[in-house]
Amino acid sequence: MHGRIKVRTSEEQKLQKQKEQQKKLVAYRMGMKQILSTRNKENYDPASLLLSGQLLSVNPDIYTLWNYRKEATLMELKENHSDAENGDEKSIEFCENELRLTEQCLLSNPKSYGSWHHRYWILNHHPKPNWQREFDLCTKYLSMDDRNFHCWDFRRLLVNKIGITLTDEIAFSTERININFSNYSSWHYRSTLQFLTDAESVAKELTLVQNAVFTDPIDTSAWFYLRWVLSNPNLRKTQKDELLEALEQLQELEPDCKWIVMAKCWLSGNITVLDKEHVENNVHYYKELIKLDPLRRGHYEDCLKIVETKID
Amino acid sequence: MATPIKDVILKENAPVTILFDKHIEFLRDYGKDDNNFEFGMTDYLRVSGMYWGLTALELLDQTHSSPQEEIVTYIKNCQDPETGGISACLGHDPHLLHTLSGVQILAMYDRLDAIDVEAVVKYVKSLQQPDGSFTGDKWGEVDTRFSFCAVATLSLLKRLDAVDVDNAVKFVESCMNFDGGFGSRPLSESHAGLIYCCLGFLSITHRLDLVKRDVLAWWLCERQLPSGGLNGRPEKLPDVCYSWWVLSSLTILGRLHWISGEKLKKFILACQDTETGGFADRPGDVPDPYHTVFGLAALSLLGQAEIKNVNPTYCMPQHVIDSMQLSPQILRD
Repeated sequence: MHGRIKVRTSEEQKLQKQKEQQKKLVAYRMGMKQILSTRNKENYDPASLLLSGQLLSVNPDIYTLWNYRKEATLMELKENHSDAENGDEKSIEFCENELRLTEQCLLSNPKSYGSWHHRYWILNHHPKPNWQREFDLCTKYLSMDDRNFHCWDFRRLLVNKIGITLTDEIAFSTERININFSNYSSWHYRSTLQFLTDAESVAKELTLVQNAVFTDPIDTSAWFYLRWVLSNPNLRKTQKDELLEALEQLQELEPDCKWIVMAKCWLSGNITVLDKEHVENNVHYYKELIKLDPLRRGHYEDCLKIVETKID
Repeated sequence: MATPIKDVILKENAPVTILFDKHIEFLRDYGKDDNNFEFGMTDYLRVSGMYWGLTALELLDQTHSSPQEEIVTYIKNCQDPETGGISACLGHDPHLLHTLSGVQILAMYDRLDAIDVEAVVKYVKSLQQPDGSFTGDKWGEVDTRFSFCAVATLSLLKRLDAVDVDNAVKFVESCMNFDGGFGSRPLSESHAGLIYCCLGFLSITHRLDLVKRDVLAWWLCERQLPSGGLNGRPEKLPDVCYSWWVLSSLTILGRLHWISGEKLKKFILACQDTETGGFADRPGDVPDPYHTVFGLAALSLLGQAEIKNVNPTYCMPQHVIDSMQLSPQILRD
């Protein structure tokens, strides 16, 4: 049970609620009994199929019922296959009905694994799947909740099906980021598109993520992405220097923001040659971090130990 | 346009000690009344639910209070004679999630003889795909959760050799992200629950050398919020179950000390229900066995003396793992 707040109710309300719940429980048990007792390997009972849809609309996590509907789908498609005249049409209608059911379930529970899987499974068995429509729907869902990882995963499956170009997807994630910088999912999505292959694209990317962290330095999402961009071997040294300077300025405005200090550590990290000034800077940064962010003291102390081994 | 940090504020009167007796009562009574609404409506997750409740009781050293014979028979009846997999409850379909839960319970009671072990092995083997991944059942859903379930189940049965482990490792490795974390499939966003599954998988297969240890441990320690609670992804609310997914992952990586154990403990204790017992996801929410076992297991990793030691890879009592002579990999300095 996630996010269900405990509420106080009167005795009367409690009794009323219990009555309603008992009704629901009896209905659920009778429904399951009917469905499971009519389930067989040759054919499906339309009344049971209808009932399973009703139960799933209330609770899409009853995984056996999705399995049952997949079995029914396979039976239906097989039977329609022998009907040369109207078979295709019947199969399409059946699959569309399944899609409608999953859509209904996803609207009430957008994180239901079973509903997402059933939808994809049906599309793969659909005589004429409309991948473009799916893709548009997915874009719409992401605009409603851009952190739903099921929806992002679904998008990835669709991109493979309809051959959306890389440029389109970069543009899509840029658009999502411009709407909301605080969107780890979009930053993650960019990291998977594998376009930071030359100095030019890395420079542009650094500008984008730099804008994000400077707009809202307290928000964590973009900082993770920044660290990753800074580890790119195609990053120009001049850009690193510029960023360090900009961070110094930002720190004057936000003296308590630990992320700025951390970014300074990343920029002066990977010390290969023993540079006394660098080492001393790092010692100073980690000591500052221990003060700014005591929760993660153990982490900074470990970092400090590593840096200090570099001092003679 | 600053984004406020998503977090909760702990109340001053929140509990600060473990309510042992309340939890024992909560766990024992859970499921006693077959007509209880919550219980009756969740039969589709029964065997996993039993694993949560029984492991919690085990960690509280209450093993004698569980009707073991009844439980063993229940699981035995849930093994599907056709495929060998275990279902959530009688009449429902076998699934890898419940197969692992069933095997975990039987291992805890040293009663693996009650089921057809070879049939379980055959079932798990049948779910491995050419790319090394595992599906949850025959209907094709791929997820790194199932990679974990597969190797955890087989290792408890001492039959890890039954599947292509190298290929399974390759798949899990292909799910690693820019932040060092793991998602449910290749290129899927990192999520603490799936990071636990993938680290648990690599711990069982002794391949933690593949992990970007400190990048990942940093991402994990950044899950701690000012309230002390841990979230599962950046910019999300804290939740007791992530106390387990994050903390066990940090333990496997040998980086438990990268967060404040004291503040986390305070958060977990505040999620106890003082009236009914049990832990909720957040203070003031409805408690359940799922959050109860993960709350207790996290407290165990934090060194709470009154709770039995838990194994970070299997989420089972350490003494069970020891007596089975299993030695999942853990990174130490």
